[in-house]
Amino acid sequence: MTNLAVLIARETARERRTLVRAAILASLVTAASVALLGLSGWFITAAALAGAAGAAAAMAFNYMLPSATIRLLAIVRTGARYGEALASHAAALGAVARVRPAIFRGVAALPIRQALAVTSGDVTARVVNDLTAIEHDLVRRSAGPAALSAMLSGGALAGIGGLLPAVIIAATAAGVLMLARLIVRPLAAHASAAQAHNGALKQRMSLLLESAPELRCFGLEQSAAAEIRREADALNAAQLACADVHARITLLHVAAIGGSAAAVFALTAPAGAPIAAMAVLAAAMTIDGLAPLIRRIAGRAEVACAHARLGDLLGEADTAAPMRFAAPTVAFEPDAAIAHGGRMAITGASGSGKTTLIESLLSLRSVKPRTAWLDGVDIAYVAPKTLRAAFAWLPQDAALISGTVRDNLLMADPAASDDALWAVLADAAMDARVLAMPDGLDTWVGENGERLSGGERRRIALARAYLRPAPWLLLDEPTESLDAETEAQVVRRLEERLRRTGQGLLLASHRSLPQGLCSQRRSVELA
Amino acid sequence: MAVLALDRSTAAARRAYLKQVVGDGGRARLSTSLLLLDSVAAIGFAAGLAGAVSALVAGLPLWHWVALTGLSGVARGLCVWGAARIGARGASAAKGRLRERIVAAALNRAPGAARTSGELLQAAVDEVEAIDGHVARFLPARQAAALAPMIVLAAIAAASPVAAAILFATLVPFIFALVLAGGAAADQSRRQFAALARLSGLFADRLRALPVVLAFDAPAREAERLGTAATDVADRTMRVLRVAFLSSGALEFFSALSVALVAVYCGFNLLGLLPFPVPETLDLASAFFVLALAPEFYAPLRRLAAAYHDKQAAETAADRLSAVEREAAPSVCVKVAEGAPALSFAGVCVRYDGADRAAVAEVTFDVAPGEIVALWGPSGSGKTSLLRLLLGLAPIAAGKVRVNGELLPLGGSVAARASWLGQNTLLLPETIAHNIGLADPGASRASVEAAARQAGLAAMLAARPDGLDTRLDARGSGLSGGERRRIGLARAILKPAPLLLLDEPTAHFDAAAEREMIDTIAQAAKGRTVLMATHSEALAAIAGRIISLERLA
Repeated sequence: MTNLAVLIARETARERRTLVRAAILASLVTAASVALLGLSGWFITAAALAGAAGAAAAMAFNYMLPSATIRLLAIVRTGARYGEALASHAAALGAVARVRPAIFRGVAALPIRQALAVTSGDVTARVVNDLTAIEHDLVRRSAGPAALSAMLSGGALAGIGGLLPAVIIAATAAGVLMLARLIVRPLAAHASAAQAHNGALKQRMSLLLESAPELRCFGLEQSAAAEIRREADALNAAQLACADVHARITLLHVAAIGGSAAAVFALTAPAGAPIAAMAVLAAAMTIDGLAPLIRRIAGRAEVACAHARLGDLLGEADTAAPMRFAAPTVAFEPDAAIAHGGRMAITGASGSGKTTLIESLLSLRSVKPRTAWLDGVDIAYVAPKTLRAAFAWLPQDAALISGTVRDNLLMADPAASDDALWAVLADAAMDARVLAMPDGLDTWVGENGERLSGGERRRIALARAYLRPAPWLLLDEPTESLDAETEAQVVRRLEERLRRTGQGLLLASHRSLPQGLCSQRRSVELA
Repeated sequence: MAVLALDRSTAAARRAYLKQVVGDGGRARLSTSLLLLDSVAAIGFAAGLAGAVSALVAGLPLWHWVALTGLSGVARGLCVWGAARIGARGASAAKGRLRERIVAAALNRAPGAARTSGELLQAAVDEVEAIDGHVARFLPARQAAALAPMIVLAAIAAASPVAAAILFATLVPFIFALVLAGGAAADQSRRQFAALARLSGLFADRLRALPVVLAFDAPAREAERLGTAATDVADRTMRVLRVAFLSSGALEFFSALSVALVAVYCGFNLLGLLPFPVPETLDLASAFFVLALAPEFYAPLRRLAAAYHDKQAAETAADRLSAVEREAAPSVCVKVAEGAPALSFAGVCVRYDGADRAAVAEVTFDVAPGEIVALWGPSGSGKTSLLRLLLGLAPIAAGKVRVNGELLPLGGSVAARASWLGQNTLLLPETIAHNIGLADPGASRASVEAAARQAGLAAMLAARPDGLDTRLDARGSGLSGGERRRIGLARAILKPAPLLLLDEPTAHFDAAAEREMIDTIAQAAKGRTVLMATHSEALAAIAGRIISLERLA
């Protein structure tokens, strides 16, 4: 079993009671359906025979029990279906709610290049879709027991008319399921072709959108649209092939209902009209009861693809605790270490690799040997967790998580008190702004801080870096998108803070004011 | 009240938009017709069963009734099969047309629209996909749901008007229940949709923020938080589902109830034991026919309910897609006289929607006809924005741009009289000659060859057996970066355009390649006004003037 299969099996096992309830209720639904129609057929036919035999026979006919049972079955079927829908959704939602964080842990534990590949919007959307596919499959878990129950109850009712009709029902049901498996076989290929065309279409379109100036200068909008249409047509063709497979399965299922009914009637005719009437309707409802299972079979290819893709995202978490240095040195040349508490500006033209260097220090990209040294050790050979424990980072894009101001700050130190949060916000010249927000620390910042201005976002990200108890501050453009007054305030408070905490500072900035904090410079040249 | 009215008007706008984009050439109607035919076949199926049972009782031959049953069953299969295939084709066509509209909107987006190309891709590829189920399943199901129950009811009435009345009577409270609960259920179901979307959004957000999460050594804590949130949303979703499933429960209840009532009524009628007088006496055939057909009365409504989420997905997508289309603004090509133009920028600012700072602030300079001017400055200083401005691809927030003294309006473009060469060259999967000739569809083969030679492609073409007729793929595989850019340059030379816009045309070149490229550009610049963005001192050296742009904060 793959890691993912183990994970899903473990999480669904925790929902076993709900799943068992869903399975029982689903079985009850199909059994009641079969019995409702079968019994109704028998009741009408027998009533007609009794009615035709005269008033005495009609009076003697026990109509109370069957008619009451018919009403009961109708109520049971309704109630059971409602209960089944709730139970199976509860189990699936519950299990996937726990699979999601596990997948997240797995992605975080992947080698950095693979992990960051998942953060692109497209891949993220696919992961979300894959989880949804798995959730849907879990909802359909009770389809198997439901189909089995339909076959058993259909077989039992038809069995009253003889063994052969019961066998026919079972054989038709089994045949339909086997044929369905055969028909869905090409689906996996069509589905992955559709996935590939989807990717190709996006790639082609993104290339063309980037070429907007050329398209415009040379009047190529039409040919670009035609190019995109060609790719889109290929995608549509693959999807149409998928839809046709699904249509074929429906054809099989619906035709089998009529076919089995005709066959079972022909076989049960010798047992008399009431029994034959019961068997024929029971047969039709039995095959009808296979519908959820057939849907599950049709969805299997997609679920298998989702499993395979998600399975690749599960890295082995590094459980070793990071080494923590109290006062490590940092060096960009083997014999020029900066003592802890030192301040260095990383300078260089745009695109020269300042951010690359900073991300290397955090092991957020694969590190080439001889890039930098932490306490004399080449960072290429230092565990990522150890590196990350040494630096408190302000990313260039000031990325925030969707949540409250508090959620964002607590990432740096989950145990921090509110006083500590306000203190770092003050150091980032952001305390007054947060105080003025409607919910203070509990103000929702929106996805990636979209409800904040660029400057507010940056200062919250800066406060988050301050809160992290690490020996070095690693600030990438701390005063970008701040006005001159705020910038001066941020730099002044940073200066005070550095003096107070004795932290070292590595700073990348285009601006002269923050650069003035630094006594040393490291110029990065285009690689 | 105002909010409600607003909701209504957006709902109406959304419906109108969907209706307009899914006009699918009658395929939905054909698919609907097949679904109606399915109901007719169901009548045949019930008639077959009823005939067979009563023939069995009467001791008459059975086989033609049994055959009718089997054949009707197969016919039903063929009907739903056809409906599904035709529906899928209608959806495919509708998606194709909608995608073309979105692509056209994306290619003609207004200068400065905030939408990223990632969002446009998402819209054109994935969000268009959301209308698939709406066209393929929901529309035919909705149209069939209005008619099919009436067809079934008419057939039942022919056999037993009282049974038909009973079925109709269950429909009345059902519709009443739907009207009462329908609003609530639809609302609940929208909330369920929103809750699930929120959960996916949270998960996607944490993946997006992974670098930060890793750098703060927070994966375990964030996973835990994600788990709590997911469990919380799962609980909330369950509360929503409890209500949302009630509407399908009602459907189920009335469907089961109608079968039970019809069965009991028919049985008692046949026994002659009804406690109240009815104007009909049933025989076995008509009673059985009614019973076998009763489940079909609610089947179209159940099909509609199953397709309901397709409708919601399509509505969600419609809101976003119509927004993308609204942002489109075809650029206006301004007339530029023959000969190298003069340009003038006076206090020009460029600011993109939603950006918290200007991309270009207060830039002033003039370019004389035939002059080469280099824009110089770090990335982010707005060099490219100034070039794109002339093509109507960047918004003028303030200031004035003049071409030959004429004011360039917002979104106005000089594209008809300009050539462009950037870092990446657009290549179509055609021959090299075709790719060069894109600049001037009327150009002769000789002039394409001349442009290729002038762009320094001669050696490369000589080394290939098919020369100019070498076929390329969309990535330009088999060409070096320099060769690709030279094809772009040949294209720019071929176009008889007096304005040449160059966006870092020598980026990522080594010194020798850059030298050659610069010589070619200097040649091509003769008789043209050239505005170029560059980081290269060697390239800037051929400029008559260098305009320095500061990085803006």
